[in-house]
Amino acid sequence: MATPIIRTEKLCKRFAGHKKEVVEAVRDLDLDVAKGEIFGLLGPNGAGKTTTMRMLCTLLLPSSGKATVTGFDLATEAGKIRRQIGYVGQKGGMEQVATGRENLMLHARLYGMSKADAARRIDALIARLNLTNFADRKTNTYSGGQRRIFDLASGVINAPELLFLDEPSTGLDPQSRARVWEEVRALHEQGTTIFLTTHYLEEADALCDRVAIVDAGRVVALGSPAELKKQIAGDIIALTYDGAPQVAAAMRLLDGNAGVLERHPLDASLQLYVDRGDEALPVVLRILGQGGAPPKAVHLTRPSLDDVFLKLTGRTLRESESVR
Amino acid sequence: MRDTYLITKNELMVTMRNPFWIFHGLLQPIIYLVLFGPLLNGVAGTRGFPSTNAIQFFAPGLLIMNALFSAGFEGFTLQDKVDSGFLERLRVTPISRLSLALGFILQSSVTLLIQSAVLIVCSLFFGLKLEVWGTVALVFLILLIGVTMASISFSLALLTREGGILAGITNTFILPLLILSGVMLPISFGPPAIQMLARIDPLLYAVNASRALMAGAVGDPSVLAAFVVFAVLSVVCLGAFIRGMREAVA
Repeated sequence: MATPIIRTEKLCKRFAGHKKEVVEAVRDLDLDVAKGEIFGLLGPNGAGKTTTMRMLCTLLLPSSGKATVTGFDLATEAGKIRRQIGYVGQKGGMEQVATGRENLMLHARLYGMSKADAARRIDALIARLNLTNFADRKTNTYSGGQRRIFDLASGVINAPELLFLDEPSTGLDPQSRARVWEEVRALHEQGTTIFLTTHYLEEADALCDRVAIVDAGRVVALGSPAELKKQIAGDIIALTYDGAPQVAAAMRLLDGNAGVLERHPLDASLQLYVDRGDEALPVVLRILGQGGAPPKAVHLTRPSLDDVFLKLTGRTLRESESVR
Repeated sequence: MRDTYLITKNELMVTMRNPFWIFHGLLQPIIYLVLFGPLLNGVAGTRGFPSTNAIQFFAPGLLIMNALFSAGFEGFTLQDKVDSGFLERLRVTPISRLSLALGFILQSSVTLLIQSAVLIVCSLFFGLKLEVWGTVALVFLILLIGVTMASISFSLALLTREGGILAGITNTFILPLLILSGVMLPISFGPPAIQMLARIDPLLYAVNASRALMAGAVGDPSVLAAFVVFAVLSVVCLGAFIRGMREAVA
């Protein structure tokens, strides 16, 4: 592999919590991100995704450990890194009473562009992203989706080789999300390396070449979405019941039967990991029917990243969300 | 320098666009001028009052008071910029933290300058008489106070990151600073304990100096004292703000 565009070694961030307690937001992070890939950090809120990204963007000093970003040392060459990267934070960062164009102008000028160069660059971006209709309105009149696309435009104003996106589609309607994904893919095709965080499985699955699943400040799995899903052997049969007692009955009936590798009860449903779903399904249904515990509904699915997360941490991503 | 100019320009544009700017910044001192000034006329004749003309006593201090309020509340605008992610967006660009901090400070100074000019002109209508060079020196003193107060408020905004806490701290300190400065009524009216306490209020020196300067007494010892106090304070506080901007987690 060529020199990675991001390399971290034992990167840590500790915060002071309540009553002298130390919160380890990021622990001993070792990551390599290759030039040109879309790399995703996937995990529940509070897993340390944003903290990691803020360190890599020079917004937050690491407590310990080392990192190089775009070939420069994070601790000593932050200024050089800032010229090479773009960053779109969760909050965007547009001045509300200024127009989109004025915001872009300020950002462009801060990267050292002359007024004329900046104006040309902004015109081109506005045209390419179809923003002409809103460019001269104040940003506090924008919809969430319009604002996000402007945030993206601002993030690439300096034509960065590496673009950081913190939760790029959180809070957007499906249409706007598709639009954001489209633009991210277009940037990727132009050769921009993209590092993003997300707690949406679909987003990681749809966009990323490689995904690091993080939980409580650590990477618990790393690989392409397909590789990660392969960690879960075979297919998943999800059975839905009325309540936990029926689930328990079904568990008993299937004990050691029909090539069931693993059984995960979740409230009123039961997840079976099987080698070949298409062959196992009729057998499972026959056993359950004869044993007097037929399910109300059946789903046969390929494993998702959520299942990977469940297997690695014992919780689903959604559960982790609601606990917080 | 170029970056500082860009930030200052942008901030001024944003300030001017906010319709509450005039209300928030200028209306309050003008209300004091219109409603409180005449009240003082009744006191002006009493024993111990340093001047027989209330406006001559009150207007210089009013300029100091405006600096205290205008610059002392700047932190709230910075906090909005933290909340909206605007500051964060600026901090990932190559702009130096020094330029960024100076940009915000310069914006507050220009705002203060405009407000002071308006207040001086208004006071003239109420019969204020002023000496030109003394007034020019007074404006410089006001700018030093503005830099000091804005730096403190900006630094607090970065530290507290929560509007309620910042408002609490600001209101707790500004009122005693204001009363003990002798803007409203002469400190010499008060008991010895208050007079002692007032001596640790840096604004007392500024208010005393402001009256001397407007009367043209540039050589008055109070003038030197005020300039020394606020030259030191502004450098220290500005340094702290620049440092805060370097380390800010915003």
